Amino acid sequence: MAASRTSFGKDTGLQARMLLTLFLLGLVYVIFIGVLIGVGAGAGLIVVVAGVLLLVQLFGSDKIALATMGVKEVSPAEEPELHGIIERLCVQADLPKPRLCVMETSMPNAFAMGRTKKSTTVCATRGILNLLSPAELEGVMAHELTHVINRDVLVMTLASFFATLASMIVQFSFFFGGGGGNSEEEEDIMIVVLVSVLVYAFSFLLLRALSRYREFAADRGSAVLTGRPSALASALLKISGTMERVPSQDLRAAEGMSAFFIIPARTKKSLMNIFADHPPLEQRLAALERLESQLQGTA
Amino acid sequence: MGLRDILTGRHEVKGPAPDRLFAISTAYVTLEAEHQIVPVGSAAIVFQALATSEFEATLRDMEEVVRATGGESGTSVATQDDSYGYRWMVLRNPDGAPSVEDLAVGINAVSGSIETAGHGERLLCSVFAFQDAAKRRIYFIYNYKRGFWYPFVPDPANAQARLTERELQIKAQMASEIPMEPELERWFPLWGIPI
Repeated sequence: MAASRTSFGKDTGLQARMLLTLFLLGLVYVIFIGVLIGVGAGAGLIVVVAGVLLLVQLFGSDKIALATMGVKEVSPAEEPELHGIIERLCVQADLPKPRLCVMETSMPNAFAMGRTKKSTTVCATRGILNLLSPAELEGVMAHELTHVINRDVLVMTLASFFATLASMIVQFSFFFGGGGGNSEEEEDIMIVVLVSVLVYAFSFLLLRALSRYREFAADRGSAVLTGRPSALASALLKISGTMERVPSQDLRAAEGMSAFFIIPARTKKSLMNIFADHPPLEQRLAALERLESQLQGTA
Repeated sequence: MGLRDILTGRHEVKGPAPDRLFAISTAYVTLEAEHQIVPVGSAAIVFQALATSEFEATLRDMEEVVRATGGESGTSVATQDDSYGYRWMVLRNPDGAPSVEDLAVGINAVSGSIETAGHGERLLCSVFAFQDAAKRRIYFIYNYKRGFWYPFVPDPANAQARLTERELQIKAQMASEIPMEPELERWFPLWGIPI
């Protein structure tokens, strides 16, 4: 047994896919910027507005989301087990301890928010605390902490900046389109709107792909952190099993938050996986199974 | 973590920091002589036990080694799992021989064989138990990821409460003797320490 042996192998395929997605996204954006500059149609104002929105999103979205979702911060005395799990994972991952919140709903789920490692909030629902065993809960919490380590909120917000900009231009054109001006100007605006629609469509698909890859990375990070890939797999199975039994009204009310959840709250199965921001359960379970066999030395 | 790691969402668990475990085997002299904090003769190492046959074999070999090296001093080894799924390997000196050096050597043998087997990132911490003049337990916890020590004094009157004032006094007393964790928010408690 060599000293260089590690518990898990590298996942170069996932990294390559993620880099390719980022590259394509960048390419779409570069073309978009080129067109904006080329046309020079009063896009300056829109860029400034989008920039301000980005800052608000980066610095305030977690606070806004937490305030609207009705989560409550819990002290170590109230939730000793959850605090114990997080503290040990923080030692293991060499992270400062995040704020811990509990959301009083029976729907089992968990999410992490915050831009930096120091300003992170990890939230679990009452449902997930009741449903999972300590080892499974640890796997889910390690998944959320990996999102923090990987700075997923920051990456996804920045990656979606120009997609947001494109969608704003499309919306603006509906509000202010058709106003006077000469025909050449109108033609320019038409081009910008058309390109924006295309940029939005392409970047939407690419962002969804990126989001799915980052979920895989977080599952992997959780397995590496806890050394128990099968515990997370078991947790995912338990959560998804319950998701289908939860009353649909509850689910509709929670639909808006699905991007933050470990398993999105949806009643309908998506027709096409390319629109989904979370990978299908089977693929996540298969990836975790591969990690478990790497760990057992049978892969 | 580099930019590329952030972009690709790659994250590997950190291995142990440069070893400063043996700082305890000199620091305890000062603790005992100047601050009336005496060792109780037990220490423990806490780690994630991987559920693989290879890891279990490593653990069995390791216990043999610790028993063999502890043969002369009479150190006993006991293993137990806590409710969080972490394994505690507890080393106890026989009564009347509270040698911190022997315990540190034993703990180092355990962490050494886990690292040699390539699982250094599974190590969480080591705990050395002491008590002060008021017979209150005082623990020194060594964080492997950080390579730092910090004191942990649970409140004997309340479960899940710690005597932060006492911990900060110990920090001030011992900061020159032992590498103390500088960030107080990383002084993570360990409730229900079995030693």
